[in-house]
Amino acid sequence: MSDAHVGEKMDAKRLRAASRNGAIALSGREVRRVTKLWTQTILPPVISAILFMAVFGGALGGQLRQVSSIPYLWFILPGLLVMVVAGQAYANASTSLFQARNEGYIDDVLSSPLRPAEIVWSYMVGGLYRGWISAAAVAIAAIPFVPGIEQWFLALVVLMLTGIIFSALGVMTGIWADSFDQQAFVATLIISPLALLGGVFYNVDTLAEPWRTLTLLNPIYYLVDAERAGVTGLHDSAVWLSVAIAAIVAVVVTMLAIRMFSRGKRLRP
Amino acid sequence: MPDHGQVPALSISDLTKVYDDGTPALDGLSFTVSAGGFHGLLGPNGSGKSTLIGIIAGLVRAPPGHVRVFGHDAVSDQRRARTLVGLAPQEVHLDRFLTASEVLSYHGRYFGMAKADAERRADELLVAFDLEDKAGTRPNRLSGGMRRRLLIARALVHRPRLAILDEPTAGVDLELRQDLWKYLARLRTEQQTSILLTTHYLEEAEALCDDISMIRRGRIVASGTVKQLVDRFGGPRLEDAYLSVMRGVVDEVPV
Repeated sequence: MSDAHVGEKMDAKRLRAASRNGAIALSGREVRRVTKLWTQTILPPVISAILFMAVFGGALGGQLRQVSSIPYLWFILPGLLVMVVAGQAYANASTSLFQARNEGYIDDVLSSPLRPAEIVWSYMVGGLYRGWISAAAVAIAAIPFVPGIEQWFLALVVLMLTGIIFSALGVMTGIWADSFDQQAFVATLIISPLALLGGVFYNVDTLAEPWRTLTLLNPIYYLVDAERAGVTGLHDSAVWLSVAIAAIVAVVVTMLAIRMFSRGKRLRP
Repeated sequence: MPDHGQVPALSISDLTKVYDDGTPALDGLSFTVSAGGFHGLLGPNGSGKSTLIGIIAGLVRAPPGHVRVFGHDAVSDQRRARTLVGLAPQEVHLDRFLTASEVLSYHGRYFGMAKADAERRADELLVAFDLEDKAGTRPNRLSGGMRRRLLIARALVHRPRLAILDEPTAGVDLELRQDLWKYLARLRTEQQTSILLTTHYLEEAEALCDDISMIRRGRIVASGTVKQLVDRFGGPRLEDAYLSVMRGVVDEVPV
């Protein structure tokens, strides 16, 4: 490589390998950004989740000692993990991409031979990393207060799917948004309400209508319910059906994000 | 696979671009940059230079079949075409979360270089552009001239066969500008890099370029060597010929 031009005589196989190298580099840059800015990216959601645990599990926990026959803190932990992963994966992917667009330095990626799928996936990796690191910190903080995790594999699969879905949505918002206001709009008016009304803090069976039906129509509820099955063994819906639907949604939103990037309407005039 | 020795570095034929809002930018534009050539693209602001450069580099959408880089279609075979192109855009946009050295090495890696190669090449370029003591500095802490040099270095990290420099010396002081001229001349002779340069400094184009194309309202209105342009449109300097063409004394007379 040292004296040769990179593109010269590059066959398809080498081009693919080179492209993979580039995608790994871009993913690494995104992960590094999260780590470098940890006081802005990781610390705030961890503090928020710990405060939720302190207020709902500690301060109010005395009055809400048991929900569905398990300690309240254990009951809310799965929902908090889903909320943290969803919120952070979304925030990272949308902010990083929007910032790169807004400040113009996305040009170095757009002018590279990386494929749209590789670029989208790299931005998603940053979101997944931020979501999972934040969730891991929350889980570690919860160790003294909860009995344990019932099904590790299920719990991790649900958090992985949550991360994929919301980082892909973040990429789509990062492409679509024309201003910080638009970017914040989706997080504040769509993601946060859906997360808070997704059965994180309550058992859906205790709700009156129409709140019960509204909760059942909320896609985040199924992620929370499946995660609750993984963490506590307790669930309301068919767990593997929820996981299967989440997997399909993850594939669909990732493909939509790639398609949106390929069309490039807001990226390339 | 085209033979890079035979095909032009850049071949543009009948390229038209109208933005989504209806703004026309390019109107049937055609020209060629020969392999190993140093080609100047001159024109007033808004004439379509940056749109053209954006299309070549993949930053602006265009239909396939009109732009070829060393024989590779810049749209339908964009990945191969892009590995051959290095772009220093007019606007200085650098990732503020990276250091100067990282700006270069990450860029090389996006183009497929191995990490160690990219870092070695970044060190070489930091020395070549007199930025070695700024390797660990973030772009927003560099002066305007330093940022401009970093941008040019970034365009060259992956050793492109075609370097596109969009007003690379804008805002750069005279001494640095002359150093850059020497570097570009060396780049061309030692590495046979083809160069497409846009500039508003006509003495720069006169000193560096073999061929020049003049663009106005999205069309090439005159092209040739400096001597041909001066002979045809009036001299004694390139500036006189340029003004003749742009003031409409001569309307669209390719040499």
